[in-house]
Amino acid sequence: MKKTTDILSRIERRDGITVPDGYFDALAERIGRRLPDRNMAEAPASRGLWASIRPYIYMAAMFAGVWCMLKMFTIMAGHADLGSMDSNPVLAEAFANDDFMLDYVYDDISEWDILDEMMEDGSIEEAPFLNEPENDTRLP
Amino acid sequence: MSELPAENPQLIKRLRDPQTASEAFSEVIRTFGEPLYRQIRRMVQNHADADDLLQNTFIKAWTSLENFRGEAKLSTWLYKIAINESITFLARERKRLNLSLDDQESSLIHTIEADTDIDGDVLAARLRMAVATLPEKQRLVFNMKYYDDMRYEDMSEILGTSVGALKASYHLAVKKIENYFDNHD
Repeated sequence: MKKTTDILSRIERRDGITVPDGYFDALAERIGRRLPDRNMAEAPASRGLWASIRPYIYMAAMFAGVWCMLKMFTIMAGHADLGSMDSNPVLAEAFANDDFMLDYVYDDISEWDILDEMMEDGSIEEAPFLNEPENDTRLP
Repeated sequence: MSELPAENPQLIKRLRDPQTASEAFSEVIRTFGEPLYRQIRRMVQNHADADDLLQNTFIKAWTSLENFRGEAKLSTWLYKIAINESITFLARERKRLNLSLDDQESSLIHTIEADTDIDGDVLAARLRMAVATLPEKQRLVFNMKYYDDMRYEDMSEILGTSVGALKASYHLAVKKIENYFDNHD
């Protein structure tokens, strides 16, 4: 260890690396030309409460809408009490109907739209893996 | 060759203001360009690759400036991006050229031998070759500690590793370099 320590002290942290003349002087200008425009005015300083809960409110509203629709069908069919989901014949019939599910349940809710919305307002991190290296830089 | 540039709170304030962000970012490049370049170059060894990766580092920093919330130091954040760029580049090169880790080590040593952007300091070049034989993460630790004289606490923040593990890693790196010099006299 002594010998290496001597070598390391002799080298005095020099790496021997050089760069072409004027490289660092011109760096800021060169990189500046490559920087894309950023619409900073659109960047919110901080995320408000409404922005945080908006996707969940939308989701809840959609489910409430579906529930109201089913309730209406029940009333129209002469059954005022929805009762439990398991024992409700109207619900059972509706959920058993593929067309109904596709038209009114699945199509109304696009999970991608919700994810986009959440990424846009920062509820979830936008593609957190984008800035990660392919290998983990953490030491074992 | 020196510690990380000192943090300037005014600079961070100006980066957040859309009116002054561009000008402040040029200052960031002037301040951090050289230390980041050296960190990248010591990993990838040649100037052209280091130059590309440095530019990518700053472009990524610029485009994700909103993600910098000021909880970490600006220097730490930039170092993280630069290191990620370097590690990703090395992994991509291994894949592209179908190289094993050992092959890449030989390739890096060859690059150092053929490097023309050096000052002729033979001992410094030999140390670079010795460092190139270290595993990637140990190389990062050695470079940051020895060349940049970085504090373990800062390194810990950048690499997401405990100070104890970093100290052990540095100690091991020095030991391996000692072996290298013993075997290559």
